[in-house]
Amino acid sequence: MTLAATAFASTVSAFASTVSAAASTALAASPVPLASSPEYTLPFVGPGTYLIFGIVLAPVYAMVAAWFVGDPSDRAKGLLGVGYLAGLTTVLWGGLFVATLVIGAVFF
Amino acid sequence: MSVDVTGVDRDTLVRPIQTFSKRYLAALAVGLGLIGVWLVFYYQQLRHGLIVTNLSDWGSGGGVPWGLYIGAFIWWVGIAHGGIILSAAVRLLGMDTYQPVARLAELLTIAALTCAGLFILIHVGRPDRLVTSVVPAWPTRVQWSPLMWDVTVITAYFVLTATYLALTIRYDIHRLRDRLPSPLDPLYDALMVGYSEKEDEVVERMVWWIAFAIIIMAPLLLHGGVIPWLFALLPSMAGWAGGVQGPSFLSIALTSAVSGIIIIAAAFRYAYGWDELIPDAVFRGLSQWLGFFSLIFLWLQLQQVITGIFAAPTTLQHATEVKIATPLYWVAIGLVALAMLYAFATSLRPDLFDIRTMVALSVGVLAGTLAEKVLFVVEGLQHAHFALYDGVPGAYVPSPTELSALLGTIGIVVLFFLVVSKVIPVVELHAIEDDHEEVNP
Repeated sequence: MTLAATAFASTVSAFASTVSAAASTALAASPVPLASSPEYTLPFVGPGTYLIFGIVLAPVYAMVAAWFVGDPSDRAKGLLGVGYLAGLTTVLWGGLFVATLVIGAVFF
Repeated sequence: MSVDVTGVDRDTLVRPIQTFSKRYLAALAVGLGLIGVWLVFYYQQLRHGLIVTNLSDWGSGGGVPWGLYIGAFIWWVGIAHGGIILSAAVRLLGMDTYQPVARLAELLTIAALTCAGLFILIHVGRPDRLVTSVVPAWPTRVQWSPLMWDVTVITAYFVLTATYLALTIRYDIHRLRDRLPSPLDPLYDALMVGYSEKEDEVVERMVWWIAFAIIIMAPLLLHGGVIPWLFALLPSMAGWAGGVQGPSFLSIALTSAVSGIIIIAAAFRYAYGWDELIPDAVFRGLSQWLGFFSLIFLWLQLQQVITGIFAAPTTLQHATEVKIATPLYWVAIGLVALAMLYAFATSLRPDLFDIRTMVALSVGVLAGTLAEKVLFVVEGLQHAHFALYDGVPGAYVPSPTELSALLGTIGIVVLFFLVVSKVIPVVELHAIEDDHEEVNP
């Protein structure tokens, strides 16, 4: 191998190392929401939480706020509405939970 | 109000509650029969596992672990979203022409969401997984899993729609109580808890705010957002990825929902002689909306085909070429195009309009949108960027178990409307009486 070829190979190798190191750094700093990413192991901390609870459900917050502070509004009826929201959610998933218990008892 | 319902009285409104016919029994038998067929097959799935559908593991039929179950899930959830959008638009935008079908649209939303949820339940194999897997994982997985976003917003949507119905029904039950079946008094008492006529104005405003939340969430965030994100965020599936899926899904939702409302409204009109309560003008209007939404649907399909075959990345080009070489895709496009052409033709020549033809075309649109969605799911998986499924033999054909589930969910919707129509008025009192303060004598 000539001197020039050796120098070229050395430069390429150094460049490759630099690129590799940069890529590793970028990957480590990248906000890719992988399950193993340590920053997303805390409950409700992550981009999905911000997206769903910050943006998608925002009209629901406005709706509930308007039930209490809008004109006309009534505290008792607002609570009735909130009761429907909470109660129906509970019935929906509570029913599934009961079904799960039944399946567990009958089949397993 | 925009449609002439002069001469329609309260007795006409509660006719489904007060009458009982052989046709009702026949419809009940059909609904229960469809559910029964599904249960027979579903028992086999529970007993032997998803292998009976060829959807288990890697997808035993040509590498398709998602098939009709997920296609039908998107289809039902689309119908659900579109249904409540119509009802919310009536209240929010003053589209009073459609008030006679607003509650039918709300009920369709609840029934269709139930069916959508059922498809998720049966698709996960063991139904208890929805609780044992989803609930414990939810606080952490909701951070980054579109599947968890989906479960979250569908729950929210179901609850919002049911709350919407529960609040609006109080006004009607109070004024029609003497015409409602007394054996159901405990149910009515529960629905009317704390009611006084003074609340009407406040509750009407509360319902307006629910409609406000729904009309923003449904098109922009749910069927134009979270539901398509289940697919559009996956770059490994060439046929799924991309922002166009948001508006495309939304167009399919609106098209299929209007079709569903046309069919159900026509069924009630035919069964109970409601020609005056749901006049031709309602169907003509719905037909024009169906034509418009079909046009949007076809335009977005064109967008996807053109961008998929003109200098597209290799895998996207392949996926698109496969799609446009599939005869069923063109059948689906043709069924939607037919409804659009009929709607536009009857706008030019109103004498061509016929409700029975519109119902038949609506059935065609529902078949077409279902076919398009199933092809979207299946072909998207079969033509991924990677060659993961290339070694899986066979081709995907919906199994009898999957087809029976589709029939079963249709049976559930039929049964739902038959039962609910015996319990509450399926047309709002506001549709025939503008005076919100009127009290039943």
